[in-house]
Amino acid sequence: MTIEEHATTVAGKPVVDWQIGTDIATISPDPAEVVYAIRLGYEESQTFYKWTDKFAIFLNDPAVHQVTGIVVGSWDELDVIVAALVAARDRLPHLTALFLGDIIREEYEISWITQTDVSSLFTAYPNLEHLRLRGGNGLSLGRVRHERLTSLIIESGGLPASVLQEVTTATLPALEHLELWLGDEEYGANTTIDDIAPLLFQNPFPNLRYLGLRNSEIADEIAFAIAQAPVLQRITVLDLSLGTLGDVGAAALLESAALAHLEQLDLHHHFCSTGVMKQLAEMGQRLGITIDLDEQMEADIDDGDEMRFVAVSE
Amino acid sequence: MGQPAWIIIGNPESRPVALFQAALARCGLPPARIVAYADLLAHNITLCDVVQDGDIVRIETPGRNFAVEIALLQRGVDAIDPETLAYAHASAHWLNQVLAQHAHDRGAVWYPRQWYLGYCALLQEIAQQLAACPPHRRMNQPNDIEHMFDKRQCHARLAQAGMLVPRSPGPIQGYADLLAAMQQMGWHQVFVKLAHGSSASGSVAYRTNGQQHRAVTTVDTISYDPAGYPILFNTRRLRTLHDRAEIATLIDAVCQHRAHVEQWLPKAGIDGATFDLRVVMIAGQVCHVVPRLSNTPMTNLHLLNRRGNIDRVRQRMGETAWQALCQHCQQVMTLFPGSLYAGLDVLLLPGYHQHVILECNAFGDLLPGMLWHGMDTYEAEIVAMLKSHGEPLHEPGRGHTYRQQW
Repeated sequence: MTIEEHATTVAGKPVVDWQIGTDIATISPDPAEVVYAIRLGYEESQTFYKWTDKFAIFLNDPAVHQVTGIVVGSWDELDVIVAALVAARDRLPHLTALFLGDIIREEYEISWITQTDVSSLFTAYPNLEHLRLRGGNGLSLGRVRHERLTSLIIESGGLPASVLQEVTTATLPALEHLELWLGDEEYGANTTIDDIAPLLFQNPFPNLRYLGLRNSEIADEIAFAIAQAPVLQRITVLDLSLGTLGDVGAAALLESAALAHLEQLDLHHHFCSTGVMKQLAEMGQRLGITIDLDEQMEADIDDGDEMRFVAVSE
Repeated sequence: MGQPAWIIIGNPESRPVALFQAALARCGLPPARIVAYADLLAHNITLCDVVQDGDIVRIETPGRNFAVEIALLQRGVDAIDPETLAYAHASAHWLNQVLAQHAHDRGAVWYPRQWYLGYCALLQEIAQQLAACPPHRRMNQPNDIEHMFDKRQCHARLAQAGMLVPRSPGPIQGYADLLAAMQQMGWHQVFVKLAHGSSASGSVAYRTNGQQHRAVTTVDTISYDPAGYPILFNTRRLRTLHDRAEIATLIDAVCQHRAHVEQWLPKAGIDGATFDLRVVMIAGQVCHVVPRLSNTPMTNLHLLNRRGNIDRVRQRMGETAWQALCQHCQQVMTLFPGSLYAGLDVLLLPGYHQHVILECNAFGDLLPGMLWHGMDTYEAEIVAMLKSHGEPLHEPGRGHTYRQQW
């Protein structure tokens, strides 16, 4: 499952769609236990009001200060939306979870989402624990220093190297879950293994438990590099799913002694041969690692060249 | 008077006819008499020779038979188009050449507007013949079929009756026209479909952000006939276009065959795919319902998409939203009072609470292997037809082993 459905849970809490005319407290007796999605629906998209207009009404709800999570279902004017979120900081003192850009394939192309500079969110929301961003184009995190953030997810069809550099140089002492969808070169992915290397070899996040380098065209290279990397000593989940992993990368994983520390290895949507899949499954059994090998893909053949593809690009 | 005889107007070799005959047999009824479209078109037979007092008449699809297709196109040569625009059409002479040379062209869509006009002419002839027959009952009506086979008219009719449908900008003549309409409506994505196409034939799902363009289409190639009219060739492997000029050519070509345009509304998702629902309505009730799952904008099952599980969809909708959907489908069928059955395409918006009606398919009951209360669509229609008349029933679904294919 990638981006065919709106998020149903965020930060472990169920997502509910908030509509104009419904009270926050009516939706859930404890507003802190759900995450409110604010989207422009079918009827609303026909009117001339914007996401920020709907958000302004949401902020007027007397129970808004109890809200802990918000999903932004819009791709339009994300810079204006970020400014509105920052301006709302005093009304959302308990905000711990934010998903900016829950846009599915039926609504828009992920590569067409114009993200923005989100650095002001980190200062506006010091209690933020979960930040999920969709869309890589135009995205900037700035110089990140945040004490509480435990989960950072950036989903893209092509993540610019500049964003990756902002991630690797960020100061996030509480970070446990780091998930990056690297994407396809044609849609803006220009990260190289050198950009990723600091994550693998310098352990910038002391509490990291989950590392996802997903949806990548250089999955084999990543697998090769990570197989001997010290980060494997720290994390319990390695997620290389949605990408172009093939037998070369898998062989590196099979030979890695450090892999034994893992509890889970997610490789689903891959291009490994059936023989190699069998070896991986055997290794998983031997080392007690749960390995997801679903969605064995077949490369497209174009002019005799084998073309592997990531799950989410355009 | 004994048992009523069943009469099918259809292509004798076609799958729906075979499946309906099998359903009759499972109900313990004798096979239907088949009146071939080819014979009706050639005036080898009139319905008055066949239909007797109390008989039951069913009109099936004329599709998937090249000789019938050509004969319907021939019938459309002299048909007067109530719209003054000249849609792509062909002369009788050219059609004969087509017949000789192109019978095996896979995926070709020959002059759908002319085909439709020809089919309407035949349906009117069928209606006239039936009017002259002894009293009988019909499972569907020529004029309902006519209306459902015009997506533009059908959409307008539903919208006028207050049904929830995607918005349409009205008639669109080409790509430039489409862009202007999209801008005016504030839309970034639309569906462009042949007004008289079935199974996503000649369909385009188009979206743009102003700078970039993306069209997903069932059209593989376009060739041009000697008169310069575009001929579309469909493929089951969808194509994706990004080049604006190429997309413009495609949409211009579809519009030359008369297009229906509507807003592309996002579909709800489940199990890593998005879906719409094929809802078979029989005797005013929701019967067989199939979620059609896809990772493309087009959900038609022949496009390598897959069937989903309706129970899980219903569960996520909740009973209120499900009942609202059922009531809405019932209201739609009141607009087609002469039709015992139809296949409605219903879209659920993400969030599962709202839905819209996408299409009404006169022959949308072809769902082989799909059972509802132990009956396939055809058995359910037969039972409904007999029940409506108080006939003694040999209940199907007893003593048979039904194979569920999904």
